[in-house]
Amino acid sequence: MSADGGGRGRGDDADDTDGPGGSDADDGSVLPDRLREYAVSMAGASGGERLLIALAAIALSILVGTVIVVAGGLIATCRTPVLTVGDLALCYDPVAVYDRLFFGALGDPLSGGWSPLNAQFAVTLRETTVLIFTGLSVALAFRAGIFNIGTQGQLVVGALVSALTVLWAAPALSGTAGTVVLIPLGLLAGAVGGGFYGAIPGVLKAYAEANEVITTIMLNFVAVLVVRYLVSDHFQDPGSQAIQTASLPEYAQFPALLFDPRLDFSLVALGFALAVVVGIYYLLSHTSFGFDLRTAGLQPAAAEYGGVDSARTVVASLTLSGALGGLGGAVYVLMILGKFQTGVPSYGFDGITVSILAGNNPIGAIFAAFLFGVLQSGSSVVDFATDVPPQLVGVLRGLIILFVAMPEFFRLVGRRITPEDRGPAAAPGGAADD
Amino acid sequence: MTDDADSGEAAADGGETADRERTGDGLGAGLRRLSGRLLVALATAALLALLGVAAVVAPESSVGRLFGIVVSTSTLSATLRLSVPIVFAAIGGIFAEKSGVINIGLEGLLIISAFSAVYGADVTGSMLAGLLIGVLASTVLAAVFAVVCIEYRADQIIAGLAVWLIALGLAPFASQVVYGSPNTDSVGTLGTWTIPVLADIPLLGALFDAAPPVYLMFVTVAGAWYVLNRTAFGRWVRAAGENPRALDTAGVDVSRVRYAAVLISGVLSGIGGAALAFNIGQFTGNGPTMVNGKGFIAIVAYLFGNYNPVGALGSTMLFAGLDAVQLRLQTRQILGVPDSLVQTIPFVAVIVVLALVGRTRIPEAAGEHYESGEE
Repeated sequence: MSADGGGRGRGDDADDTDGPGGSDADDGSVLPDRLREYAVSMAGASGGERLLIALAAIALSILVGTVIVVAGGLIATCRTPVLTVGDLALCYDPVAVYDRLFFGALGDPLSGGWSPLNAQFAVTLRETTVLIFTGLSVALAFRAGIFNIGTQGQLVVGALVSALTVLWAAPALSGTAGTVVLIPLGLLAGAVGGGFYGAIPGVLKAYAEANEVITTIMLNFVAVLVVRYLVSDHFQDPGSQAIQTASLPEYAQFPALLFDPRLDFSLVALGFALAVVVGIYYLLSHTSFGFDLRTAGLQPAAAEYGGVDSARTVVASLTLSGALGGLGGAVYVLMILGKFQTGVPSYGFDGITVSILAGNNPIGAIFAAFLFGVLQSGSSVVDFATDVPPQLVGVLRGLIILFVAMPEFFRLVGRRITPEDRGPAAAPGGAADD
Repeated sequence: MTDDADSGEAAADGGETADRERTGDGLGAGLRRLSGRLLVALATAALLALLGVAAVVAPESSVGRLFGIVVSTSTLSATLRLSVPIVFAAIGGIFAEKSGVINIGLEGLLIISAFSAVYGADVTGSMLAGLLIGVLASTVLAAVFAVVCIEYRADQIIAGLAVWLIALGLAPFASQVVYGSPNTDSVGTLGTWTIPVLADIPLLGALFDAAPPVYLMFVTVAGAWYVLNRTAFGRWVRAAGENPRALDTAGVDVSRVRYAAVLISGVLSGIGGAALAFNIGQFTGNGPTMVNGKGFIAIVAYLFGNYNPVGALGSTMLFAGLDAVQLRLQTRQILGVPDSLVQTIPFVAVIVVLALVGRTRIPEAAGEHYESGEE
């Protein structure tokens, strides 16, 4: 129903493009228009419904994932199948996969002697920390009606700028003073680097009307290549085969509170991430900039009429979004890696899923990021404990986005299984889609 | 049938009239759009001419040698080879978007078919069977996308991204299951079909000494142009994207036309992905996989080509040509520019083209769910 409303709104827009000023905002590329409709339709859904849809999407993804694991297990060849029926040999045990994926990621909380400080849980939290930043980055742009697929590139650029800045400044300082100065400096550098890289598609969209979905994807490729060139030709650690910078000194990295320092997780960094969440929440809900940004996302014509400079809002939103991605990159360098190395994991793409799953809500992003932290961390446990390829998590990521994108499906199923209806057709309706 | 065709035509014409009116209201925008395309064409021609002059003046300079690379038969041949997956995906994208469904998941369709084609060829021992299996896989994924978008009204952009990400995970997953690595085994490559005499023409001989998919690409471009512009189905597709209400009134099922168009994008992307994989006889699934953004470049190619298959071929040849030149530059080290930077050329070119073309006039109802009035 909300989609219809959005459709009508867009039809009206198209009809009254006589005004020379209005045509620019109304008649732009369709993607942001679709986003607006999506944002409207998601805003129309109540918080409870959104949570239900998110949970249902996760459950359905796990179900489809199980089918994929079983299919893979039948195709793969192995010496000790978990199940043999006639000629068919099943090599993968789907229950074991999900057991390792979820309980393994938490460090087996049900097996007694569990401590929240265990190594695998630290990995989960450390992935969560970076994913909070990338999720926020995508969510902020989304709220402004912009689809930033470039968080990955912004994170890569931010990570390199952060590493180089800290390497440059580190010799001048040492000890606790070094930590106190260098970490904020590294975070700032990452934010500036990512923000700059986010501003490029912002300017291209605002002043050249270049569709940001495509430009940000292209800039991801460019970032990887340029960064590889910069590191290998100018900042290469001579003692290493990998393309990487020299390592940062210990005092330039996030201090590990409570957790074992070898686990590369810092509660300080997680605390910082949560503080940024609160900051972005406040910015969006309680400041005039946040109001302009959200209005530009939902009602661009109204925003323009109300005096919002849409071009500047676009640039500012993408810059801020890029800065958040860059912060994620800085945390990746300062907490996890302790240097910059090419081949950065796909935190930016996971950020898209985090944001969509969270309904682009900053607070929701914490929980969605934790879920993906579990999946990322769990995938290494799966890799270690079973023969199932860890790429399964990549499949789940795509499936979750797909299912969250189709709330209508779950509404339909919901209507069918509600007691008033007494329709027995719920299960076939659900199965038809798989 | 004729009745339907006529009314479909009327609906499409209605859309085109609206098109003209809308372009008319923004004369400045129209000029800019034209000038953007013209600018790219002129800039390309001027750059080639400049290179040519420099080559004549100083054949041994690096600029002269660069010109030698740009106009060589092997560069044209590589350009054609690199164009194949992009052109097939782009034409599929034209059908889908013309019908009102923006298919941003072309990249995913290419990925899934590239793997499936290699796997199919490996299992059956036949390249043709491999091609069919690749096309089947891509079409099934496109069908899922179509159902999700048309039946369950999913946001097309998000669903398209999901298609990409699913394929990005699924293909390396499957490769790991079957081959124990994200890269598959080799299955051999397609040979070339050489047309006698014509293949000996300097430079243009590359057109007559190419792998079968290259010839198929030219046939498909012509066929797609014909179907879109000269058949009843083409009119329905355009009407479904421009004015679905009119098409519905004329008695044509809008959803069915859209399903057909999205499935066509699946079939064509399937051919493109299979051709890409058979080019080197292997699927490589590390990082962004061997598809490496070609599906997204295809989207820019058809936007730049203004939804015309011939235009999409032209803009693809520009991007693929740059890619071919950069590949040659990497091996020859002519300008002394490091490989990593040379590799950015096609991606940067896409961004520049997009910025110059700016807004494109997309079909009126693209991206919108259409609810038939009968319900």
